[in-house]
Amino acid sequence: MTIRNAIRDHGQRYRPRMACLQKVEKVLLEMQDPRTGVKSQPQRLVITTIPHAITGEDIIAWLADRFQIDTQEARSFGSMLVALGYIYPLQDHKRLLIKPDASLYRFQTPYFWPTQQWPVEDTDYAIYLAKRNIRKKGILELHEQEQYNRLHKWMNHKWDFIVMQAKEQYRAAKERKKPDRVVFECQERAYWVVHRPPPGTVSAMDYGLERRIDPNADEVTELFPPDVPVNIVSLFCRLVKYCTTYNSHDPFLSKCLPSNPWLTDDVTFWTLNRLNVEVPSKMRVERWTFSFGELLSDPRGRDDFRLFLKKEFSSENLAFWESCEDLKWGTAATMREKAEQIYKTFLARGAPRWINIDGKTMEITVNGLRHPHRYVLDAAQTHIYMLMKKDKYGRYIKSPVFKDTMKKAICPEEHKFSRPSLSPIILRQQELEQRAKMAANAPVDITQVMSKLSQQGKEAPQRRTSK
Amino acid sequence: MPLVNNKVGDDSTVGKDKALADGEALVDSLIKVVACYRHLASCVGSCTDSLQLRDELRQTREKAQKLAVAICHHLTSHLRNKSLPEEQRKEMELLWVAFSSSLELLHVDMCKVFKMGDIFSLADTGTLVQTGLQGGSSEVAARALSIPDLNQAQPPALPAGLESQEQSTLEQEISQIDHMIDDMEMKVNVLRWMVEPHGPQYADPLSSTDSASLALLSMDEERPGHQPLCQRSHIFVLLLLFAVVFVAATLSVCIFLFS
Repeated sequence: MTIRNAIRDHGQRYRPRMACLQKVEKVLLEMQDPRTGVKSQPQRLVITTIPHAITGEDIIAWLADRFQIDTQEARSFGSMLVALGYIYPLQDHKRLLIKPDASLYRFQTPYFWPTQQWPVEDTDYAIYLAKRNIRKKGILELHEQEQYNRLHKWMNHKWDFIVMQAKEQYRAAKERKKPDRVVFECQERAYWVVHRPPPGTVSAMDYGLERRIDPNADEVTELFPPDVPVNIVSLFCRLVKYCTTYNSHDPFLSKCLPSNPWLTDDVTFWTLNRLNVEVPSKMRVERWTFSFGELLSDPRGRDDFRLFLKKEFSSENLAFWESCEDLKWGTAATMREKAEQIYKTFLARGAPRWINIDGKTMEITVNGLRHPHRYVLDAAQTHIYMLMKKDKYGRYIKSPVFKDTMKKAICPEEHKFSRPSLSPIILRQQELEQRAKMAANAPVDITQVMSKLSQQGKEAPQRRTSK
Repeated sequence: MPLVNNKVGDDSTVGKDKALADGEALVDSLIKVVACYRHLASCVGSCTDSLQLRDELRQTREKAQKLAVAICHHLTSHLRNKSLPEEQRKEMELLWVAFSSSLELLHVDMCKVFKMGDIFSLADTGTLVQTGLQGGSSEVAARALSIPDLNQAQPPALPAGLESQEQSTLEQEISQIDHMIDDMEMKVNVLRWMVEPHGPQYADPLSSTDSASLALLSMDEERPGHQPLCQRSHIFVLLLLFAVVFVAATLSVCIFLFS
């Protein structure tokens, strides 16, 4: 079927497939065949007869014969047919099962067959209840009454329409002949007994939860879509380019000047690379040349850029970009004032720092500023960013300001380990050296030491005896 | 003098009231046609399904579409007019809600008829479900088309091509209605929760004398299983009553003649 009602199904639910319905339909078409199906008899009412009524025992006998099953199973199968709504009982219409006696049933018209394609609408139910109420006031049962009130609350805007439609359907029904009218009323009543059962009954149409995805849609089975090879190659190239550019700037992959503080406990690196240091390091300046984003994200680079823009008399662009960032990342309470401030300073006609954006973006932004939110200036901000990137950034890199900064940038020397190292190998070496030194200075022979000592001892008492 | 002034003042409101009344009349007739279409659609696939029924369905559907297009233009132009006074706008929005709901009902019915037309082909009458319907639906169609009696001309025996052509036309018309509904939602923004209906929650019963079908149904409900016996005893009692009345009448006539 090409016609799907998915557009009107505002809930966008996908009902689980009940494959049994199509099978039951086939069985039913066989059953109702006037020649080979269940034999029908007319139903005699007070003043008229209505044809095509079938008895419960005939149904069970036919099913047992057709499928070669025993009576018990045929009876439960027949009850399922009634519970699904394909056959409805003429007496005792609220109990949906087959009685194996002469009680009468009739086939339901295809319009009222249960389908998965079109959900059972509450509007139709409301119209049906209103119709019954029109026919005789107060005929609604308690649960129907409750449903009626609930629908009146939820579909209040349609209520005039529902009442009018109920009246028109009632009047149209009166145009039909009496037996047909009775049949139609029975059919409709049976339909709603199946689809809006009274509370506490088990409904055969209860199919569980509704799904969020369409079970008929094709599943994605391939891991990679066909155009992936091109993407992978370009991604790879980008990755390689990134690695080569940033290789020398990575503190783990290459040497960090003067030294990595985590390794040498020397914080010169951090002091030299403070956020707003006067003289940046060469590596830092080199990083500014990689991309505009790098330049803007480094506060020292942004300062430099601001200086450059001031010389070119277009500093309002950067100021606007910064205020947009402030708005995006600021607190919600201050958003309104910030937005107003930005509008007054940058966007209004004749503003002191009017930025140059195209008419369409200006229109969108001004319209959005009526109800400001965090991202209301996104369009304008992007425009200004691209403007700065394409135009000003290139000029900045070639400008004397930048060249000046680059010349002044320092390149610190590598850290010299002037403090004695605490490495045990080195300590041991030093100890050995010391000893060697001592040994080189000190006398080598013990006898010489002893003779020296004895000489010293002899000299001392001689001096004492001479006195 | 005051009369002249009143007249001048009334002209614009009269014009607007006329527009409202026109809109109401159109929407009322669309609701009537949609109700009749539903009755006709419930017969498709049953034993009374025939070329005549399909033809009546087609005629009713065309009428509904004509009305729908007319209402769409009328209401869209009025609701897009920004200078419409508030009460008029409210009324127009009510009509709009009624119109869009009827259009949705019509759309669903048309989809169902299409699907059933596919399954139940008229060429094979053995598969039409024996639902107990006997009569035709020409009175309902006549009511839909607002003509006193439908012409009973039977179209000639059907070539298979005509039915498929009918199906494709139906398919096109369904998509047309789809587009109309989408367009409507795009062009006019009616806030459904702001619309308040006029009528009461419970509709008044249309006629209290139509209890005959009710009686038939209630007979079904109240006496399950004993129906054949009951009906026979009922008929017996009625016959007895008629006999007694007949005897009494004969006696009185005899008395009158012989006295």
